[in-house]
Amino acid sequence: MSLIAFSDIRKVYTIGAVTIDALAGVSFDIGEHEFVAIMGPSGSGKSTLMHILGCLDAPTSGAYRLEDYDVSQLRSNDLARIRNRDIGFVFQAYNLLPHLSALENVLLPCTYSTHAVSGRDEKARALELLERIGLKDRMYNRPVEMSGGEQQRVAIARALMMNPPVILADEPTGNLNSKGAREILDIMKELHADGKTIVYVTHDDTIGAEAERVIRIQDGRVVADERN
Amino acid sequence: MDLRDSFRNATRAIWAAKMRSFLTMLGIIIGIAAVVMLMAVGNGTKQSILSRMQSSGSGNLYLTAGARSNVLMGGNPEGGAGGFAASRAGVSSGAEITAQDLTYIEARVTYSVVVSPTNQTNITIKNGNTTMSGTGIFATPTYFQVENVTIADGRMISDGDVSNRTRNVVIGNTVQTTLFPNESAVGQLIRINGASYKVVGVAASKGETVGSSVDTAIVLPFSVGEKSFGIAHNRVQRTTIECVDPTQTKVVIAEITDILTLKHKKVDFTIQDVAAMTALVTSSMTILTTLLAAIGGLSLLVGGIGIMNIMLVSVTERTREIGIRKALGARERDILVQFLIESSLLSISGGILGIVVSVLGSDFVVSRFTTTAVTGSSILLAVGFSIAVGVFFGVYPARTAARLKPVEALRYE
Repeated sequence: MSLIAFSDIRKVYTIGAVTIDALAGVSFDIGEHEFVAIMGPSGSGKSTLMHILGCLDAPTSGAYRLEDYDVSQLRSNDLARIRNRDIGFVFQAYNLLPHLSALENVLLPCTYSTHAVSGRDEKARALELLERIGLKDRMYNRPVEMSGGEQQRVAIARALMMNPPVILADEPTGNLNSKGAREILDIMKELHADGKTIVYVTHDDTIGAEAERVIRIQDGRVVADERN
Repeated sequence: MDLRDSFRNATRAIWAAKMRSFLTMLGIIIGIAAVVMLMAVGNGTKQSILSRMQSSGSGNLYLTAGARSNVLMGGNPEGGAGGFAASRAGVSSGAEITAQDLTYIEARVTYSVVVSPTNQTNITIKNGNTTMSGTGIFATPTYFQVENVTIADGRMISDGDVSNRTRNVVIGNTVQTTLFPNESAVGQLIRINGASYKVVGVAASKGETVGSSVDTAIVLPFSVGEKSFGIAHNRVQRTTIECVDPTQTKVVIAEITDILTLKHKKVDFTIQDVAAMTALVTSSMTILTTLLAAIGGLSLLVGGIGIMNIMLVSVTERTREIGIRKALGARERDILVQFLIESSLLSISGGILGIVVSVLGSDFVVSRFTTTAVTGSSILLAVGFSIAVGVFFGVYPARTAARLKPVEALRYE
């Protein structure tokens, strides 16, 4: 069974008298352990798609199934739980909390977890993740004291904290230089090799070329769905 | 999210904007301090009036000449102490109470009472080169019983002193310490308005009471008043009637009114009941205290609006943070609690500081001008109120934060 199933997802924005179809009926399935790049020019609707995929926004119509959940039927508390446990976000702007240290940022999802894990275990896992991304010695640094690439690595560690099956990355290398971008892409590939499902939104063809599968979006529709 | 994390987050956020947080708290500090201090003034005034009234005994009735339209509001004819304006309106001229009236009453009253006639006049007391002014109280031995005046040294005025017009006096505590700082006054001679009197006793200190303080007074035999101080023969300015059973005051008032009306053929006198006056003072002072607290409450309200304002600013500033937290799994409740704790913490810290300010303020500043009493209940009220203010004025900003849509909050720049 597929991990993610989108069927005829529509998202309509109404601004005054004007309605905009950001998504005009999108359907696709993503299986477990896939590495999918979602590509398209800006304004194509890929960000909206990403937000719906990440349960940050609700579709106007259509059915979205994630694992065993019929997401389109869930209420806000359940959506929060899915964002906490089942999805790890990596944003273009990193979105670390500026007043927290790297370690505290990585631990942040735990504070919203509904099942009890001892603080010591949480900290041990956070340190293990920081070590894995090569920033254990920077754990007490705040985001402003780190480079963009380092911040994004901390964000990846945070996304992995609750060990979600799906990692959603929204242009994670958009603000990075090519060396930083390479590092992030390598980490993503490594996570994929470890069994994570990666959904990677980008408009960069060189990154798209490294994914197993590319879904191209234009004007709110899927225009191509091909495997490399 | 457990509460410990929430508190840590909240203190952090408050600390991150120290100046702003302090200024916000200042509104609550001033509000709470105003409430507590104004209540302290109200309670202090009430307590001091009540203690003066109660020190003269709860079963006491005061009989004075002249009818008054309102017995309860009549106050004390000797000059109005502690907020009791002695209204002389309605005093019929020429009315007086005489020693014969009292004898007449004592012979006919069926309840157990103690009658203490007194006259008062201002006097000058002198020992050697030390002079002080005070009140001369002309009384019989029953005075000491009905006014709860105890003797610290020597003896009280005796029946013999009264019948023989002996120039023996009992002096108040302040008179003793002023005129005889280093020795007992008992057995010494003092001069009152130029004439010589012998001190036979010193009264124990009582503080201020209704009428005048016994501390600065000299008690002289009742009969000495008309002999040497020009008080009209047999005239009694004020008579204290103590009901031995304090529950009988109402029936005693009725009976004495009947007896004296029979003798005078009209009601040209007033009988006041200390217990009724006490009840009146208690209720009117409670109203005053409530009113003062309400005035203080207004500034607390303004402080609360300040908290709401700053929390709204904080929610706007941290919209992106809220979006990030939601993306990481924060539920609406988590965000709501986070901001509510922050606003409550602001107002509780403000409240605690306000209590400190008000306790210091009323002990060291306001108490120089008036009696204050910071009561436990006013502190509890202040704490409760500051929590309530924090929650009440925090709810709207916190709900605004909690209901932000994650995707919109994340997009916020």
